Amino acid sequence: MNILTMLWQNLLGGSRTLLFPERPKVSKGYRGLVRFDPALCSGCAICKMRCTARAIDFKSGKGTFTWSYDPGQCTFCGRCVEGCKTHALSQDAECPPVYLTIGALKKSYTVARKPAPKPAAEVPPVSASQAADPVPGGAQ
Amino acid sequence: MNLTTALARFLIFPGLLFAVPTAWFFLWVERKAVARMQGRIGPPFMQPVYDFVKLLGKDTPPRTGVAGLLMKMWPLLAVSAAAGAVGLLPVLPSSGGFQGDLILLLALLELPSACIIAAGFSSRSIFGEIGSAREAVLSVAYNVVFLLAIVSIAASQHTFRLEALAQLPASPLRWLGVAAILVCLPAKLHLNPFSLPNAEQEIYSGPMTEYAGPELAMWELSHGLEWVAATGLVATLAAPHVMIVWLAILLFVALSFFVVLLLSTLAAATARLAIDTTVRFYWQCTLIFAVLAISSALFMGLRS
Repeated sequence: MNILTMLWQNLLGGSRTLLFPERPKVSKGYRGLVRFDPALCSGCAICKMRCTARAIDFKSGKGTFTWSYDPGQCTFCGRCVEGCKTHALSQDAECPPVYLTIGALKKSYTVARKPAPKPAAEVPPVSASQAADPVPGGAQ
Repeated sequence: MNLTTALARFLIFPGLLFAVPTAWFFLWVERKAVARMQGRIGPPFMQPVYDFVKLLGKDTPPRTGVAGLLMKMWPLLAVSAAAGAVGLLPVLPSSGGFQGDLILLLALLELPSACIIAAGFSSRSIFGEIGSAREAVLSVAYNVVFLLAIVSIAASQHTFRLEALAQLPASPLRWLGVAAILVCLPAKLHLNPFSLPNAEQEIYSGPMTEYAGPELAMWELSHGLEWVAATGLVATLAAPHVMIVWLAILLFVALSFFVVLLLSTLAAATARLAIDTTVRFYWQCTLIFAVLAISSALFMGLRS
């Protein structure tokens, strides 16, 4: 009889279908569209490697790189965000917007490569006690 | 019943002109009621008509290795049979009819099911064949109970004429028979929990898999007409006899509508059963009541 009670409650409670432009509420930790911050990106392309849905594309040029994202192919798994060491990627905590043309949500950024950090000018001085002891596990 | 009356009943009332809009209405009521009971919004009022018109405008893809004429014939035969069954229902107070029209009604009600079985096997699709096999088993399972229930009603009232049955006052035995028919209706209309032949999630609608366009539209129409005929049969047997025409029509539609709601509730409340469970249900649980009904009817017939 529980099922009949449930049906009756559904009948009285109205439908849960949301009509446009209403959007459903999302839970905490919801994985929405991937956002890209060009200022933080180091151009390592780990995100492209981790993206099994091939939603992220990465093209390297002379002094620049192009990062592209196609939400139409994205499965919102969040592996790109997890793998981004510089935290240049994040995910929205809301449902993706409704779009009417194919590829309307595609994003593409061309970012100038940051100059590689210069190697240290001189080796820091080694103390006498450290120089005498061999490195444990090192090559003999 | 002369030819003109028969044609008028088949084409106008309660035949095609009345039954086709009613069929679409009942299909909408079933879909809407199930949707609302599941917390969904459901289709708009005109959706079955839109579906029908849309399907009529589509082409049927070529099917290699399949007898095209046979495939076209089955849905048309099903529509004709279902419309004929609706046309036989004695909705109006003095609608004529003939001795034995109840038997013809039963045959016409069974014909769409036979067409579905034949269509599935004609399509040479594995899903169609599985669906047809299920339909055949289901048909054997519920028809024993269905026929026994109808025969018990007819035997208790000593007539196989529908109009005479509708006019006679209902006996307790008739109510038992009506209850048995009601139990068979979900299987006849492929509703949950007996929606095995057209299980969309398992066998892609079974016998309908290879159908598209106008042919599928005809199948949808025949299904709607089956709704009208089957619920109308219950309404005819359950409704009290009234001589006012508009009241008789209103009573017929209201009772049919109530049966549609009842079946929709059952469909929303249950999940699909396996074929062995279905057969066990009809042959072990329900058959007892049908046998009880017919034996009581025969016993009463012997006494009187």
